[in-house]
Parts: sequence; structure tokens; C-alpha cells
Amino acid sequence: MPDSPRPRVAALALAVGLVLADSSIVVLALPEIYRELDTSISGVTWVLISFNLVIALAAVPAALVARKFGPARTAAVGLAVFAGAGLACGLADELSTLIAARCVQALGGAAAVTAALELLPATVGSERRAATVWAAAGATGAALGPAVGGLLTELVSWQSIFLIQVPVALIAAVPILAVAKHEAATGIIEAEVRQTGRPHLWANLALAMVSAAIAAALFLLVLLLIEGWRLSPIEAALVVSVMPLAAILGSRMTERVADERSRAAAGAILVSGGLAGLAFLPKATILLTLPPQILVGIGLSLVLSALTETALGGRAPQAIHGGWTISSRHAGVVIGLLALTPIFTADIDQQRHDAINAGTAVILDSPINPLLKLDLAEKVSAQLETEKGKVPTIEPAFEPKPSDPGERAEVEQLQGELQDQLDRGATHAFSTSFILAALLGLIALFPIGLSRRVDL
Amino acid sequence: MSREGRLSGGVLVVASIVVSLVLVGAYLAAGGSSYEPKKTQDPCNPRPWSNPQSLGQIANQFTISALDGAACQLGVSRETLARALATPEGRERFKQRYGIDDEKLARAIRAGLVRAVDDAEEAGALPSLIAGPLRQTVKSIPLDQAIEFINDAESFLSNAESFLGPAQDIIEQLLP
Repeated sequence: MPDSPRPRVAALALAVGLVLADSSIVVLALPEIYRELDTSISGVTWVLISFNLVIALAAVPAALVARKFGPARTAAVGLAVFAGAGLACGLADELSTLIAARCVQALGGAAAVTAALELLPATVGSERRAATVWAAAGATGAALGPAVGGLLTELVSWQSIFLIQVPVALIAAVPILAVAKHEAATGIIEAEVRQTGRPHLWANLALAMVSAAIAAALFLLVLLLIEGWRLSPIEAALVVSVMPLAAILGSRMTERVADERSRAAAGAILVSGGLAGLAFLPKATILLTLPPQILVGIGLSLVLSALTETALGGRAPQAIHGGWTISSRHAGVVIGLLALTPIFTADIDQQRHDAINAGTAVILDSPINPLLKLDLAEKVSAQLETEKGKVPTIEPAFEPKPSDPGERAEVEQLQGELQDQLDRGATHAFSTSFILAALLGLIALFPIGLSRRVDL
Repeated sequence: MSREGRLSGGVLVVASIVVSLVLVGAYLAAGGSSYEPKKTQDPCNPRPWSNPQSLGQIANQFTISALDGAACQLGVSRETLARALATPEGRERFKQRYGIDDEKLARAIRAGLVRAVDDAEEAGALPSLIAGPLRQTVKSIPLDQAIEFINDAESFLSNAESFLGPAQDIIEQLLP
């Protein structure tokens, strides 16, 4: 057995953070993938859904494999598979190849994450501490994922998101390999031997519901920023990085409130409050997204850690129960995306249509020359045709501007009014989905109320 | 962690509820529930003219009335029709999308032009002496010319020779 536990703890936390970041890291790259691979919004969401679905299905079987063949070996093999599939994702030039590679990546990820939880108690010295490290690494990864993905998409490419994971996964695998060699040499599997309790139904159910709401918050906000308000991925990444920063603040509160049910309830309420705030944005301004994001960020850190601790508390083997929490969280993400994608894609189409009509009405009702207004109406219509699925940019329709100063001022005012209609349409398109996600968070209060921690 | 530094679970839950309600309340008070695109008007509803003073203003409102009238006949919005009539390609796309042939489109646009003449007369922008023959003329105007009339009402109204023939002199005297 290698001596110093620190590199192993760091490696295990890195592995957990990396895999769980992957469930959200592509969120900001989806618009880019959507255009580059020439697919639909519903099609591209499967890059996200497939990964989460496979993790949800594979987490518990992977935990069983880890217990049978040794957690270190399972984690090392899992990370190797994760890295190899990540390489395939980065090289994919078709949506189907990308989705297939994401499924394999999720299999490796599920093995690494659940095996890590089996290894952590022996490495950090206690089950409770292991659960805390594991939950914190997962929450940090999930919260940081979108911002990191956005930066990479803008600075390099969407492919780089996957390619950069290859060396990171291999670095995490090195200290774990040493334990795996020890396992192989001695035949000793450093796993918990006692088996205690069934999976915590209510805590896991609440985890699924809250995860659905949080996934929706991230995914919808990113789409609103990039597709609706036309921010670049790097700008959107900066905006949504408020959520992980707020999550850090929330984790400090975690230490100050011992009662897990209260933390979970408060977290779910804050997530729902933040989502409702995003549903009722009074203007298309980045600044107004910050208070709701702060609420979601603090809320997610409170509720995810509290529910994970409740689900794992006093239960063994940790890998199996950790597998259930991972499965619940990712199933929640899948349900959230599957339920909300058709709603918001229909809403986006409808609002885009309404915004274009409202903009045309503004042009028609303006006092400018009728010939000029019909020409503008036509240009806006042509612009709409060229921008597949996006809220169109209207600047090209207003170029060149009239040379007459009076007419120019009228046209510029018109451009502002038209932009306002488009902003209204883009923002309103997400309202119903945000409200539904907020309701999911509130419904989670019922299983949270029933999720008493039972040390078995 | 000292006991003094600890928060009660109840306080945390109540604080979460208050903060959430304050945020949502503030956003609703600032107009968050009505931040959506302006609703477009039903083209079949009358749209009153606003006392036009010049030929340009008359032409502007004439165009709007004609679009309303035609859109009402076709069961589409005035805005959709305006975008469709701006180019021949737009017109073809529109016809295909809504299953409309040239005959139906021509009938609707003529009806729109009649409504525009009626509205102009009612608003006092067009004397009855001109409105009568103009109304008769637009009822049989060919499709392309009817669309051109909507797109460039000012030229048509200021140079009515092409379709009113002998009435042109009267128009030139009576129009602002």
C-alpha cells in the first residue's frame, strides 16, 4: 500500500470532479456543436442526455463491479475508458459518433466515481469524511463544468473540452494505479465488508427532483444567454460562473447548520426561488440574472450535500449507496432535460415568430417612408431565414443606414425598438420552462420532508 | 465549529423563503410577468387613421389599411403578409406555406385596397369624388399592380394616371 494518502485523496477527488463536471461541461458548447454538426436543438441535447442516462443506469452495477474486482482497479480502468472515450468524442465529426462516445465515456465515469467512494473511507480515515469529500468534489465539478466548457469552446473549440479531459483523467489514474497494483499483488480489496440498509428512497428521490431543476437552470440559462441574447460562449461562461461562486458561499453555510433536512429544504427553496426569478426577468439584462443565479448556486450546494449525506449516512457499502445517489442525480438530469426540451424548443419557435411579428408591426407602424419600411420588413424576414433556429441579429437588416439625418434617426430608433421586441421574445421563451423547473424544486420538498437520516 | 457560530435549521429555511419571495416579488413588480413581445393586432379589427396631413402620411396609412384588409381576407397577420409581399421570392414562399394561389391572393389584395380607400374616405383623407372611381379601379386591378400599389402607395396616389385615366386631373387638384 503506498504511504502518503494525500495524492490518492487528490486523485480520487479529481476523478469524481472530472466525471461529474462532464455531466454539465458541454452545456455551453451545445450551441456550437448544434451548428457545426448541423443538427436540431432536440438532437444536440442528447450529447448531454446520453451521458447522464448511461451514468444513471450504470452507477449501481459499476459499484458492484468495484466491490467484486477491487475499487482501485475498477477506478483505474474506469478512468482509462473515460479518457479513451473522451478522445473519441473530441475526434467525432458526426452527432451519432459523438453520442456513442459519450455513452462509453459515461460507463468509464460511472466506474471511476463509484469506485472512488469505496476507496475514500480507507484513504481519509472515516466514512463521514469520505462522503463529504466525495460530495464536495462532485458538487464543485458539476458547478464548474459549464464555465470551464464555455471558456474552452470560445478559446479553442468544443472538441477541446473532451481532448483536455484525456490527460486530466490519466493524471488522476496514476496514484490510483499504485493502489490497484497493491490490490493485484496482495489480493486485498480495501473495501467495506459490512452491508447495511437499503437505498434511502426519499433522499434519492429528492436528489433526482432537485437535480432535474438544477440541470434545467444551467441548460436553460446558457441557451438563453447564447441563443437568445447572443452572448459568446466565453461571455456566457463568465455570467454562469456566478453559480459555482455562490455554491462556494453556500458550502460555508453547510458547515454552520448540522440539520441535514433543514439544509436540504432551504437549498431546494433557494433553487426554486432562483429559477422563478429567471422565469420573471423584467428585462434582458445580464445583471438581472445574477441574483437568481446566486440563489440557485447557494441552494444547490446546500441541498446536494445535505441529501447526499442523508443518503449515505450510516449505510454500507458506500460504493453501492453512492451509486444510488449518482444514479438518482443523473436520472434527474435526464428527466429534467427530456421533460423540458420539447417545451422550450416549442416556446422558442413560437416566441421567435411572435418577436418577428412584433418587430414587423413596429416597422409598419413607424412614420418612416413606406417603401423603406417594407424594404426593412423584407430584410428582417431574409435575416430570419439565414439564422437557423436562432433569434436573428437585426443589424444587417438596417445597413446601410439612410444618409438623410432625420430618416437615419428614425431608422435607428426603429432598430432599437425591434431589438427590444426580439429580446422580449427570447427571454419570454424560457419562462414556462423555468417555472416548471422551479416547481420541480418545490415538489422535492415532500421527499425532503420524509428524508430523515437513519443511522443503521 | 462553536455552537455560537451555528445557525438553526428553522432560521435557514425561513430566510430562504423570505429571500426567494423578495426576489420574485421584486421582479414581478418590475414587470417580469409582462416582459414579452408586443401582441399584434387582429387585421380584421378596424385601425383608426390618425389625421394624415401630407401625401406621404396618407400613403403610409393607406398601405397599412390595405395590408390589414388583405391579411384579414387571407386569415394571416398583417405583418406576415407585409414580409411576404416585399419580394417575389417571399410571395412564392408565402403562397406555398399557406396553400394560396394567385387568384385568391389577388382577390384578397383587391379587398385590402378597397378597405384602404374606404378608410381613407372615412378619415377625410380622400374626397368621395376620388374614392368612388378609385374603389372601382382597384376592384379589377391586376395582381402585380395591386401589390405594387401597396408597396408604393405614394407614387400611385401622386401619379394616378396609370389607373384612373381621366380622373387624374381631379385627383391632382384634390389631394394634399
